Amino acid sequence: MSVKARSVGGGHGDPTSKAVTPDGDPVLAARLTVPTVPATFVRRDRLVEQLSDGAHSPLTLVNGPAGAGKTLLVADWVTVCEPGGVAWLTVEPQDSAPGVFWSYVLHAFRHHGVVLPDDIGSPARPGEVDHSLLARLAAWLNGRDSPVTLVLDEFDRVAGAAAVADELQFVLRHAGDGLRLVIISRTEPLLPLYRYRAAGELVDVRADDLAFRAEETVALVDRHGLPLSAEAARVLTERTEGWAAGLRLCTLAAQRADDPESFLKDFEAGHSTVADFLLGEVLRAHPAETQDLLLRTSILEETHPDLANALTGRDDAEPILEELQRANAFVEPIGHSWYRLHPLFAEILRVHLRVRHPGLEPELHRRAAEWLSRAGLLDEALPHAADAGDWELAAAELIGHLAIGRLLTGLAAERLDGLFARMAPEASGPAADLVRAARELAHHDVDQGMAYLRRAEENLPNDGADGTEDAAAVRLSCAVLRVLAARVAGSADLAEAAARDAAQAERALPAGQLERRPELTALMLTDLGSAQLWAGRFDAARSTLSAAVDAAQGRSTAFARHEALGRLALIDFLHGRPGQAEAHAREAVAEAEQSGLPVSDRTGMAQLVLAAVAIDRDDLTAAEGHLDQVAATSAASRDPIVAVELAILRSRMLVARGDSRGALPALDDMAKQALDSAEPSPWVSDRITMATAAAHLADGDPKAAVRVFEERASHSPESLVAEARARVAAGESERALGILDELPEPENEGKPGNEGKPGNEGPVTDVWGLLTRAQAVDALGDTAAAESLVLRALTAARPHHLRRPFLEAGPWLRRLLLQRPALTRDHAWLTSTLSPQPAAPRQRDEAVGPSPESLSARERDVLERLAQLMSTEEIAADLHLSVNTVKTHLKSIYRKLAATRRGQAVRRARELGLL
Amino acid sequence: MRYEIRVDGEMSDELTTAFPELDTFVVPHQTVMYGQVDDEAHLYGLLIRFQSLGLHVAEFRRLPE
Repeated sequence: MSVKARSVGGGHGDPTSKAVTPDGDPVLAARLTVPTVPATFVRRDRLVEQLSDGAHSPLTLVNGPAGAGKTLLVADWVTVCEPGGVAWLTVEPQDSAPGVFWSYVLHAFRHHGVVLPDDIGSPARPGEVDHSLLARLAAWLNGRDSPVTLVLDEFDRVAGAAAVADELQFVLRHAGDGLRLVIISRTEPLLPLYRYRAAGELVDVRADDLAFRAEETVALVDRHGLPLSAEAARVLTERTEGWAAGLRLCTLAAQRADDPESFLKDFEAGHSTVADFLLGEVLRAHPAETQDLLLRTSILEETHPDLANALTGRDDAEPILEELQRANAFVEPIGHSWYRLHPLFAEILRVHLRVRHPGLEPELHRRAAEWLSRAGLLDEALPHAADAGDWELAAAELIGHLAIGRLLTGLAAERLDGLFARMAPEASGPAADLVRAARELAHHDVDQGMAYLRRAEENLPNDGADGTEDAAAVRLSCAVLRVLAARVAGSADLAEAAARDAAQAERALPAGQLERRPELTALMLTDLGSAQLWAGRFDAARSTLSAAVDAAQGRSTAFARHEALGRLALIDFLHGRPGQAEAHAREAVAEAEQSGLPVSDRTGMAQLVLAAVAIDRDDLTAAEGHLDQVAATSAASRDPIVAVELAILRSRMLVARGDSRGALPALDDMAKQALDSAEPSPWVSDRITMATAAAHLADGDPKAAVRVFEERASHSPESLVAEARARVAAGESERALGILDELPEPENEGKPGNEGKPGNEGPVTDVWGLLTRAQAVDALGDTAAAESLVLRALTAARPHHLRRPFLEAGPWLRRLLLQRPALTRDHAWLTSTLSPQPAAPRQRDEAVGPSPESLSARERDVLERLAQLMSTEEIAADLHLSVNTVKTHLKSIYRKLAATRRGQAVRRARELGLL
Repeated sequence: MRYEIRVDGEMSDELTTAFPELDTFVVPHQTVMYGQVDDEAHLYGLLIRFQSLGLHVAEFRRLPE
C-alpha cells in the first residue's frame, strides 16, 4: 500500500505547492523568526527601560505565566530598540537533548546573520555536547567587537534539562561581553540565578512587572477602538490582575458584543476564571465555521490553510485565517502562509474540542499526519501519527521517506526512538517490523533485532509486480538493516549479499530521493566496510569505507564518517603504514571534535591507532594517553575489534615497559573470548597470536613463542615475519630464513609514494622482516650481510621513526651497532633511545623500601642483559658463562631486589637507579 | 496522597474536563478541586496543566488520609 496514494481529508489542496519555504522547512523558519508585533501592541516604556538598562548584563530573565505578554515584549524590544546582532530561537521540547538544542542555537545565529566560523562545528548526535565545541563558540563570541543577543523563547519547555542549563551557563561564563542571553520562560531556568543577582548581572522582568497598570489598560483598549473611563480601566485591571491575555480576550469579546460597555460591566461583576470564560465568549461571537476551524486546528502547533482544510473537510480556511489574523484573535502569521495559534488559547480550545467532539481527536491527528507527510514534513507528521495511535501509518511514513537511518544516527535518533517506543504491539506489516528491528539493533539487542528483521523479510513486497516506490523503500530499508545485522554477526558474505539487494532496491527509487538521505548510504557503507574488515577483506573494506567517507558531507553523516575514518586508519596500521594510519586517525578525531562528540561516544578506533603508532615510535607516554581515551569509550566493550586491539596494545605497553609476564594473561583471555563471538575473524586471531608470541619472546622464552605459531599456522606477511622472529630467537635461524624467503622481497622501503599500493606491505612489516633476516644471518655468522640488512632496515624505519623493532630486536643488534657505529651515523632519531639510559639520580620514595644489598659486578652484567630482554641461554653465551652460573646469579639478584621474576627485577632495578 | 487545589475564579464545566482525575466544586470566587495524586511527577504535571490553561492556583494542600 502506498502512503502517498492515500486520500487526505477529502482531497483538499496540494500541500506541496505552498507549504515549503525556500530552505525547505517552514516550521524551522518559524522557530527562528522574531514574532511579528501586532498593530494593537502597547509599548510600555518602563519595561523597555528595564530591558535596555540591562544591556551590559550577561543575563536577562523574562518570567511570567502563560499569556503575560513576555514574547511580544521582547520581540518589540529587539526589533525596535536593540540594535546589533540578535538571534531568536523558540525552544521546543525536543531541545532538551543538548545536541539538538545547540545545533538549533548555532542555526539561529547563522539564520540571523551572525557569521560563525566553520571550525566551531556542530553537534551530530542528540546527547551531551563535548565542552570543546562550546568552548570554541564561547571564545569566538568573547573575541567579537559587538555583543550578540540570543533570545530563547518558551525556555520552560526544556526546564527539566539540567545538561542544557549547565552548558548554557558554561558558554555564558566564557563568552565575556560577547553574549547577552535573554531567556523567556514560564518557570525559572536551572541557572545559578542567585550568583548573577548578587553580582548585579541579572535583569529580572517578572509577572508583577509584566502585569498591566490601569493607565496601560486604557491605552490597550483604546488601540481596539473602545473608549474606557479611568475608573472602568481600574476595575478591569483589577479583575484580570493586569493579565495581558485576559485584557486582550476581554477587549475582543467586548468588540463583538452588542453593547460593549454592559459586557465589560457584566464581566467585572462575574467570578468565572478569566481565560476560560472570555475564550468561550470570543468563540461564541464567531461564525460556526470559524469556531469549528479553531477547535479542530487546536491539535496543531502551527497551521496552514490547506492543512486546516484537511482537518475541517471544507475549503474555507484561507479567508477564515486571514480574518482571524486581521482581528488579532488567536492566530499570528509566521510567514509562508503558516499561522501559529497562541499556545494558551490552543490549550483551552483543545479542552473544548474534547467536550464538543468526543473521540474526534485521533481522526484529526491522522489527517494531520497524512497531510504533513505528503508535504514532506516528516518530523511534524510522525508525532501526529503516533497521537492518532496509527502506528502502521507512522512506520510506513518513516520507511517511505527513507528515514530509517535517522533512527540509528544523527540528531533525531533519540526523539524518533522515544516516539516509536510507544508503538503498539498489534501494529503489523514489514514497515512496523523494520522500525522495531532498527530500534533493537540501535540498543544492541541483536537477537531481538534479528527476529523482527526476519519477520519483516517474510512479508516483504516482492520485486516484480509490486515494484512501486514504497515497495522499493521497504526493500532498501530492510537491506540496510541486514547489512548492520551482518556486521554485528561478523559475516562479510551476508553483508555483501544485503548490500547487493540494497543496490537493486535503489534502482527502483525515483532519481534524487536517496540523495536527500545521505545518512542511509553512509551507514550502509560503514557497516559493510566494517564487516569486510572483520573478515579480513582489506582491499574491499578500504574501498567501501572510503566511499562511506566520500558519500556526503554534513551533520547527518558525521558519525558514520568518524567511524569509517577510524577503520581506514586501522587498515593502514595493520598493513604497516603508520603515516597514512595517523592521517586517517587524525581526520577521524577532527570529525568527532567538530561534532562535539564526548569521548565516551566516540568509536575509540582512531585513538587506538594513534596509540599503536606511538608505541612503534617508543612514545609510551602519548600511547598511554590515547589508550586511556579508548578505554573511556563505550565501544571498548561492544566493538570486538576495539576490545581485542585494546588488550593487544596494553600487552605491548607492558612488554615495552619490561613487564612481559604481566602481558600474557590478558591475551589468553582475549584469545578465548574472541573465538566465542560471532563468526571469528582470521586476522584478529592472528593479532592475538602475534602479541602472545612477542610477550613470550620478551619474557625470554622463545620456545613458547614458537609453540604459539605451531598451534596456529601463520598466513599474513606480518605473522610470518613474527614467526620467523620467534624461530631465530629459538635458534632455528635456517628455518626462519626459509619463512622469510616466502615473502616478497621489500624493494621500495623508505621511498615516498609506494605506501598504499595494494599487495605491497608497508614499512613496519618491512623493517621487522629485514631485522629478523639480519638476526638470522648474524646468528649464522655472516656479519657483513647482517650489517647491510640492518642498514636497509634503518633507512626504511627513518621516515616514520619506527623505534620499536630496534628496541625489541634483542642484544645481537646492540652488539652489532656497538661494533659498527658507522651504521647509525645518520640515525640520531634512533640512537638516543637505543643507548643505555644513564642511571638518573632519582628521589627515592619511602615506599620503595630500604636500600638493597649492593650487587656484584657480575650480577650487574647479568641484570643489564636481563633488561635487554635476553634469555638465560643468551646471557650465558654473551658472558661466556655456563647456564647454571647465570641461574645462580639470577637467584641472587632476585633475592637482593626482593623480586620473584625477571620483569619485576628489571622494574625494581630501574626504580632503584641500578639500570 | 490526596490533595486539594483551589483555583481563582469559577471554572466552566468544559474546562474542568481537563482534570478528569479530580472532583470539582465551585465556591464564591474560587473552584475547589480534590482527589488522588499518584506521585510527584503527577503533582508537577498538574501544576503545569493549570499554568498552561491560564489558571491561577491560589492554594495547594495535602489532605489528611
